[in-house]
Amino acid sequence: MKITDAGLHPYPAGDSTVARMALEAAELGFDSAVVIGGAAHRPPGIEVLQGAVISAASVKEVLKRVRDPAVRRADLVYVDAGEIAFNRAIVSIKEVNVVRSIHATRRNAFDHVAARTAAERDVAVNISMAPIIHLRGTKRQRALQRYADILSLQRRYGFPLTISSDARSILGQRSVRETRGLCALFGMTGAEVTEALSSVGRILEPHRPVKVVE
Amino acid sequence: MRPRPPAMRTKRRYVLARILPSGVELDQKQVYLSVIEAVTSLLGDAAAGLAQPAVVFCEGGYVVVRCRRGTEKDIAVALATVTAVADERIALRTVATSGTIHALRRRMKPVRQLSGDGEVKIGETYFAVYRYPRQKVDLVEKGIKHQKSLFFTEADLEER
Repeated sequence: MKITDAGLHPYPAGDSTVARMALEAAELGFDSAVVIGGAAHRPPGIEVLQGAVISAASVKEVLKRVRDPAVRRADLVYVDAGEIAFNRAIVSIKEVNVVRSIHATRRNAFDHVAARTAAERDVAVNISMAPIIHLRGTKRQRALQRYADILSLQRRYGFPLTISSDARSILGQRSVRETRGLCALFGMTGAEVTEALSSVGRILEPHRPVKVVE
Repeated sequence: MRPRPPAMRTKRRYVLARILPSGVELDQKQVYLSVIEAVTSLLGDAAAGLAQPAVVFCEGGYVVVRCRRGTEKDIAVALATVTAVADERIALRTVATSGTIHALRRRMKPVRQLSGDGEVKIGETYFAVYRYPRQKVDLVEKGIKHQKSLFFTEADLEER
C-alpha cells in the first residue's frame, strides 16, 4: 500500500522542481506522487508517476485528446469535471482514470448515475486539498459541500477516491496527518483517507483474476 | 488578587509548527493575525473563541501556538490553512503538540544554512542562492520587495 499524493504541479507551472517536491513529499510521509505537467525525469527518493490532465468542453474533444501521444505516455489520465451529461460520459471512457476539479462544478454535476458507472469502471474522483487550504468564505464552504456530497456517493457506490494537494510549490504541500485533519472537515474518517491516499496504486494495478500460464 | 488554584486553571496545550521557507524572518504579531484569521475563517467565531489561540513565540524558524486543551487538533488543522503572513508566502508544518513549552523546545532543531551561497541567473532574473541540508536550494529573487522564490535541489541547479 503506497501513500500517494495524486497531484503536484512542479516548475515551470509552479515554483518548485520535481526533485524538490519529491524530497518534501517524502519528508511529509508520502511514498509516491503523481506529477502533472512536470519534467519527464524521475528523481530518486520516492516513486514519481506522470499524470496528464485533459480540460475539454465536450466528450468528443476528450476522446480526441486521450489519443494524444503525451496523454498515452502518462501513468494516470485526469479529466476536469464539467456539466452532468459530460461527467456521466467521461467516466465511461476506458482511458480516463480520474475525474478532477469536482469542487468547481455545479451542485449534483456528479450524480448517482456517474457514481455507479465510475464504480463499475474503476474511475476515481479526485479530492483536492488546494480549495480547502487557499480559499476562504463561501467558496471554501461550497468546496466542502461538494466533497461531502462526493463522500456520501462514494460510501453508497464504492468508486475509488484519490487525494491530491494540487501544490504548485513546496509551500502548498501538506503532510499525511494534516491531510487527514483537512479531510475530517467534510466527514471523512481516518480509514477512508488512508484508503483514498493508497488508491492510485490500485487504479494502476487493479485486482484481476489469476491467469494460469502454461 | 490571589491566583486561581492549579486545579481551577484552564488547561492549555502548545502546538509547535515549523515555518517554511527556512530563513524567513516573521513578526510575532503578524503571525498571530494570520493564525487568528485562519482559525476564525475555518472554525468560526464560536470555536475560535473557545479555543483561545495565541502565538507564544516565533523564533528560529518555529512558532509555538497556545490553545485550550481538547482543541489542539482543530488548531493544527487551521494552521495547515495558513498560506501567508503579511504578504509573505509561508507554510506552517505542525511538528508536535505538548502540555509544556519546555518539551517543545527539545523538538526544535535549528535550521542551519550551509555555506557556498552565491547568485544564479535564471532567464533574465538574478537569484540569491541559499543552501540547506539534504541538497535543498532556495533561490530568492534579487530586489527590494515582492521577490519571487524558487525551490530547487543541487542537482536541478547543476543541470542549468
